[in-house]
Amino acid sequence: MGETKKATAVGDMLPGTLDMLILKALSRGEAHGYSIVQFIHGASRDVLKVEEGALYPALHRLEVRGLLRAEWGTSENNRRAKYYRLTAAGRRELEFEAAYWDRVAAAVTRVMQTA
Amino acid sequence: MTQLPSLWHRLVAIVRRRRLDRDLDDELAFHLAMREADYRTDGLSADAAREEARRQFGNVTHLKEQTRDMWTFPSLESFRQDIRYALRTLRKSPGFTFVAVFALAVGIGGNTAIFSLVDAIRSRALPYPEPDRLVQLWGNVQRTRVERRGASYPDYLDWRAESKSFEDIAALDTQWMTFVGSDEPERIQTEFVAAPYFSLLGVSPTRGRVFDATEDLVAKPAQVVVLSDGFWRRRFGADPQVIGRTLTLCCAPRQYTVVGVMPPGFKGLSDTAELWVPFAMYASPATMAARGSRGFVALARLKPGVSLAAAQSDMDAISRRLEQAYPNTNEKRAVEISPLAVELFGNLRPALLTLMAAVAFVLLIACANVANLLIARSETRRREIAVRTALGAGRGRLLRQLVTESCVLTLLGAAAGLVLARIAVSMLIAQSPVTFPSFATPELDVRVALFTIAVSLACGLLVGLVPGLQAQTPDLSNALKESARSSGGRQSQRVRSALVVAEVSLAVVLLVGAGLMIRSVRNLAALNPGFDPHSVLTLHASIPRTSPPPAAAAPAAAGTPAAPSPPPRPVVEARVLLDRLRAIPGVAAAALGNDLPLDSGGGGASFYTAEGQPPVNAQNMPRIYVHRVTPEFFSTLRIPFVQGRTFTDAEVSPTSPAVIVSEGVVRRFWPGQDPIGKRLKFGGSPSPTDPWMTIVGVVGEVKYRGLPQNPTADPDIYLPFTDRNSLVGLALRTTVAPSSLIPTVRAVIRETDRSIPLYNIATMDEQVSGVTSRSRFTMWLMGVFAACALMLAVVGIYGVMSYLVSQRTREIGIRLALGAKRPDILRLVVGNGARLIGAGIAIGIAASFALQRLVSSLLFGVTAADAAAGFAVVILAAVAMLACYLPALRATRVSPLNALRSE
Repeated sequence: MGETKKATAVGDMLPGTLDMLILKALSRGEAHGYSIVQFIHGASRDVLKVEEGALYPALHRLEVRGLLRAEWGTSENNRRAKYYRLTAAGRRELEFEAAYWDRVAAAVTRVMQTA
Repeated sequence: MTQLPSLWHRLVAIVRRRRLDRDLDDELAFHLAMREADYRTDGLSADAAREEARRQFGNVTHLKEQTRDMWTFPSLESFRQDIRYALRTLRKSPGFTFVAVFALAVGIGGNTAIFSLVDAIRSRALPYPEPDRLVQLWGNVQRTRVERRGASYPDYLDWRAESKSFEDIAALDTQWMTFVGSDEPERIQTEFVAAPYFSLLGVSPTRGRVFDATEDLVAKPAQVVVLSDGFWRRRFGADPQVIGRTLTLCCAPRQYTVVGVMPPGFKGLSDTAELWVPFAMYASPATMAARGSRGFVALARLKPGVSLAAAQSDMDAISRRLEQAYPNTNEKRAVEISPLAVELFGNLRPALLTLMAAVAFVLLIACANVANLLIARSETRRREIAVRTALGAGRGRLLRQLVTESCVLTLLGAAAGLVLARIAVSMLIAQSPVTFPSFATPELDVRVALFTIAVSLACGLLVGLVPGLQAQTPDLSNALKESARSSGGRQSQRVRSALVVAEVSLAVVLLVGAGLMIRSVRNLAALNPGFDPHSVLTLHASIPRTSPPPAAAAPAAAGTPAAPSPPPRPVVEARVLLDRLRAIPGVAAAALGNDLPLDSGGGGASFYTAEGQPPVNAQNMPRIYVHRVTPEFFSTLRIPFVQGRTFTDAEVSPTSPAVIVSEGVVRRFWPGQDPIGKRLKFGGSPSPTDPWMTIVGVVGEVKYRGLPQNPTADPDIYLPFTDRNSLVGLALRTTVAPSSLIPTVRAVIRETDRSIPLYNIATMDEQVSGVTSRSRFTMWLMGVFAACALMLAVVGIYGVMSYLVSQRTREIGIRLALGAKRPDILRLVVGNGARLIGAGIAIGIAASFALQRLVSSLLFGVTAADAAAGFAVVILAAVAMLACYLPALRATRVSPLNALRSE
């Protein structure tokens, strides 16, 4: 697909970034896997692209770690879908990850701006 | 912090894994369907949309696996797979599996059986609370070496009063008493015990009570008795009103009042006792007051937290004080504190530990065999392993799989071994001439099972790692190209050869061990005990006294010293009894003594003085063992006279000065002189009024108190038997099989007097073999283990040689085609095997010499340089060569044409 050329695969970025993005996506309310992909894609203005399959091991890992809770529900088009929601621990983790990301990103920016 | 929920989730996943799998399928399907629908809206065709969605998603199966790993324990998961795979491979090659499991079952089963015996005699097996704190106190004396003796009553009282290390101390000794009931009199093992005995052992009676200290005073002992549960049931019909009833025990008949009944299974420290009476009645008040009269052990319980060493230094200080206070009796005397478990089990331990080592060798041989089989198999599986490597299996992963396989194999072996061990243990106990204490019941309990599992897993690791490390085939392309029958690498051949050498050398060690044991037992049997034990029947009797007149009985019963009135007469005189026994057809000679050779127990030694000898000190004060015998004693037992003669009829009297001594007495005091007519006196520092005894004869030394040696080298003297002893040993030399006379002898004695109890009827040969039973038991088991080792080693050699021949079929074919003669081929193959066997034998012999020191306590009169060891090696070499020869013979039958075509 043509657009992959300019898109950046999330897997190529810092480790743990996908987890953070998933947590962020879910901070706006519960969602199923597909809508998380759509959100990341859309919110990054098509720059970040999740390898769709890789999303699921990550989701399950977060669930096993107790950061997410999952429930089966009905989707907008009336299909059975698994909805994920942040737990309190997930929310704390997101704050921690976001703060960490800010620090790292600022640091990287400073390095790049050094003449 | 997140550990806990994740562990919980994973555990839940184990239970609900099917549901989770289905959910995952649904979830991914939903995603694909949504993506597909979006593509459809973008205008793609149905097929193209599905295609594109899948491509976008990636490898569904792989991702599913990855996701599932989040939920499960991945290592556990692959472990399960490995086990399933291992079971499948083992099922596919039943021959291999059978041989391997059988070898392992023999090895593991043997180890389990012996371990359960060793485990049964550990100290915790003692049926008393906190048995580790129970000790025995022995009175030791420093002579030319330290000799173990008993305690004297005054010493014991001082120990009790002065020591601070013990909760309490109780004197005890075991003796036979005759129970005179309504029917036949019966000999009963009776423990004379001081009052604290029962509380020290932590046992309490089920009925009534035990003695208290006031009943245990030498001045006024209470005539009370505690019964064992068995005795109470047998002789009192389990009478609930038994407390307060009386029973008569002799030989000086006395009435004892029953005060208590012990719980079932309690048989005292001797493990044979049925009655307990206060220790105060152990000996006459005069003997009890003599500090130098030592003969019993004391039981003690260490205070909590007091170490053996601390208690020992406590007792050492007391011994030094007593030595200063009573130099005559206590010079060079000390106390030895010995843990009770060591006393009860110590004699079994060296034999069992040797057997443990032997059976471990058998297991090692079995492991070597299985490792060899596994290597052979891993070579035929090279392709499989190469394929797996090519598909990305890591080395660690492959190794883990091979080790899992071998562990599955050894666990199967262990299961079969447990069944074998179950049979073996009951057989061992039934066959064992060594009596295990009644409470030490070897059984297959949890500890033994854990041991077996641990051993089998260790074996699995061992036999799995060898071929596993072997199997690292770096050259993938070659391995994939090669046919399955390709020859194994040179390296693996070296490992296999090394295993054969190891097997042979282990088998040599075991065979040499078994050979030495057999030889040693034969030496023991052939040992000259100083008398001729063949065709001799021995029995013991307690000859009652005729009831004394009532007037005389009363003071005797009260424990006061008997008046110097004539002693009560025996119901039958020795002379009369012996005449009747001699009249039995088949009896060539009969004699009687207060004890017989190899009676366990017997009397203690006495000090004596030889006429005209310089004074002696405590270290070399001469001691003798005294026996009272009838004149025919020496001819009946064929104890040779070195000089002089036996007693004349005139000398058979209480006042006779005649004495017969063993050579040791002469060697010490009159070497090179004529000892006849020389004189001895009892006592270390006798008074001038003590009577002299005159030597009339000298006999050879007799192994009176033990085989292969008397425990101490003190000589024996013999005095005429004058009917003063009521306990007698009878020896009959027979012209027929001695045991065939037992019923007649019993009948004759019953006819003479119904009140004589008989006990310990056995042939002298049986007595001798009883003393050597431990050696024979060890020999028997060593023989069994050596046979197992030989069998396993031979199977191993045969396997390797056959494999070698099959691998070299092509080479042999070429050699034959090029004109090699068949004998050349035979020589080639056999020579190959002979080199391995030779190396194994050389190592094995060297190891045998190194190890013989460890088993020297079990051996008698043999070293590893013995002919028996040589014989064992020859047997092994012969059988091993046969195991090479058969495959070699097959090699010579190779048809060159077929061999060349076969590749």
